[in-house]
Amino acid sequence: MPPPPLELPLPRLQRWMQAVIEQPGEAGEAVESAAARAELDPAEIGRVILPSKTLTSVERVGVYQGMYLMRMVEALENDFPALAHFLGGERFAELVTAYVAAHPSRSYTLNRLGGHFPEFVRSFPGIRRRAFAADLARFEDLVTEVFDAPQSPAWPAEEIARIPEDAWERAVLRPVEALRLGSFGYPVNAYLQSVKDENHDHPPTGRKATRVVIYRKSYEIWRLELGRPAYAFLSALVRGRPFGKAVAQATQGIQGPAGEQVFRWLRDWVAEGMFTRVEVSVS
Amino acid sequence: MNPDARNRWNFPDLGVGIGLRTVHYAHILEKKPEVDFFEILSENYLDTGGRPLWVLDQVAERYPVVLHGVSLSIGSTDPLDFEYLRKLKNLADRTRARWVSDHLCWTGVSGRNTHDLLPMPLTEEALAHVAERVRTVSDFLERPLMLENASTYAEFAASSMPEWEFFGRLMEQADCGMLLDVNNVYVSAFNHGFDPKRYLDSIDPARVTQYHLAGHTHKGTHIVDTHNDHAIPEVWELYRHSVARTGNVSTLFEWDGDIPAFDVVHAEALRARAFRGEREEGRLAAAAS
Repeated sequence: MPPPPLELPLPRLQRWMQAVIEQPGEAGEAVESAAARAELDPAEIGRVILPSKTLTSVERVGVYQGMYLMRMVEALENDFPALAHFLGGERFAELVTAYVAAHPSRSYTLNRLGGHFPEFVRSFPGIRRRAFAADLARFEDLVTEVFDAPQSPAWPAEEIARIPEDAWERAVLRPVEALRLGSFGYPVNAYLQSVKDENHDHPPTGRKATRVVIYRKSYEIWRLELGRPAYAFLSALVRGRPFGKAVAQATQGIQGPAGEQVFRWLRDWVAEGMFTRVEVSVS
Repeated sequence: MNPDARNRWNFPDLGVGIGLRTVHYAHILEKKPEVDFFEILSENYLDTGGRPLWVLDQVAERYPVVLHGVSLSIGSTDPLDFEYLRKLKNLADRTRARWVSDHLCWTGVSGRNTHDLLPMPLTEEALAHVAERVRTVSDFLERPLMLENASTYAEFAASSMPEWEFFGRLMEQADCGMLLDVNNVYVSAFNHGFDPKRYLDSIDPARVTQYHLAGHTHKGTHIVDTHNDHAIPEVWELYRHSVARTGNVSTLFEWDGDIPAFDVVHAEALRARAFRGEREEGRLAAAAS
C-alpha cells in the first residue's frame, strides 16, 4: 500500500520544490538541505511526489534540480564567454553555483542574471589570477549592457559643420544609450577577441592599462581601445562636460597641436555614431 | 479570418511555422524564406533595444507572428508581475501578434525565478488559483491567453485529476485556449505511464489554437523535452491523430538545442503538411487578412 498523500498547501509545496531545485549537489542531498527541510521532512517525500516505474520520488524531483544549475551556467557562459574560457568549464560552473546561491534570478529574463557577477568574481576565493578575472567579468558585463541598451539615433557627421565655431566652447554632446566606457588594469579586450576568434594563442594577460569604449553601430557591438588622453576626453564628454572644458582637460598632457587632435577624435567618434545630439545653450 | 477555423476565437490556421532563433537571423533577413509564421520567445525581446528587436520588427513586418512566453508563471503563488505583463502587451501590439501563449506551470516563488516550467499539482486548489490568474491576465492583455501543456517529470501524490481534465476545466472556467504540444503529451505519457491518445481525445478541439512539435531525449528511465532533434515517428502519429479531431490548426516545430541550419529546421516543420491533409489552399491568404 502506498502511503496516503500529503496535501501541502500550494505556497508551501512550491517553496519546498524550489528549495530542492536550487540546491547544488545530488538530489538526495538537496532534499535534506535546511531550506528544503524547513518545508518538508525528507521522510515524507513519497507522500508528496509519486515514484514512477523507473524513478524514485527523489529522483523525479532531481530531474528538475539537475537542470537548474545547467541552465544558469549556460546563461552566464553566454554573457561571459571569455571568463568561462579563462577559468575552464569546471571552475566556471563552481563559480556560477556559488553566484546563483547568493544572487538567484529575480527577473522574468536571464538577460541581466550576471548583473552582480563582476563584484562577485572579485571576492570569490580560489580563482587564479582573480584581478584579471574580475576585470574580464566587468568588461563582458559592459558588453552585455551595450547589447541590450535602447536604440538611439546617431547624430549625423555632417551636422558638425553646422555648429557655429563660437558655440563649440559650451556645446554638450550627448552619447547614444548603447555606449559604455571602461578602464581596466589588464588586456581584457585583446583576450575577449582571442576567444571570439577561437585563437588559443592568447595575448599575455599580465598587467596592462586598457581603456575601451564599447558601443553599438548598425546593431553590431564595437570595441575600440583608446589611449589615455582620448579616453579622458571621451569620458568628459560622456559625463556631460561642455566641449571646451573637456578639451582643456584632455589636452593638458598632449604635445603639439592638441586642438587638431581632439577634433580628429571628435569627427571619428561622431562618424562611429557615438553621439545622439549636441546641445548648445544660448550664451 | 480563415473560414475553416473551428476554434473558440476563430483564430486562423496560419499554417506551419518555426521559432525565430538568433542563429537564423542573418539567413531570414537575407533570404526572406517562405515561412507561414514565426513564433517568438517573448522574454527575449522585452528588455532589449538592440539587434533582436530590430530583427523582430522586420520579421513582424513580413510574417505573421505569435508570442510564446516562458516566465508568466501562471501557477505560482507569488503575485502576478504586472510590469512584465505591461511589456508583454506592448510587444504583442508592436508585432501585431496573432495570439499570446505561455505554459501551464510555475517558474518560481519568493520573488525568484528558476527559469524552468515546473509542474502543478492537479488539485481543486490549484485549479481555482490558476483559473483566477488566467482571467486576470486575459483582462490585462485584452486578449485570450493560450496555455501550453508542459512536459512533466514529477507527479504529485495529492493530484485528484488527470492533466487533461485539469486543462479542460481550466479552459472552461477561465475561457482560455490551448497550445497543444504533442511531443509534451508523448513525453509526459511515457514519464507517468498514461495513454497519450486518451489525453488528446479528451481535449476540446474548439479550444486548440496551436500545435507544437519537437524532438526529445530518451534517458532510458525517463524522457526529457530537449527540443534538440527531429520529432520521432510516434509523435508525428499522435499529431495526425489529433489533427483528425481538431482540423488543421497552426503548427510550429520547436528546435532550441544544437540548432541546425535554418533549412533543416524548416524542412522538419514542413513535414507537418503531410499530416494536415489537403486543406492548404487559402491558408496564406487567410493569414494575411
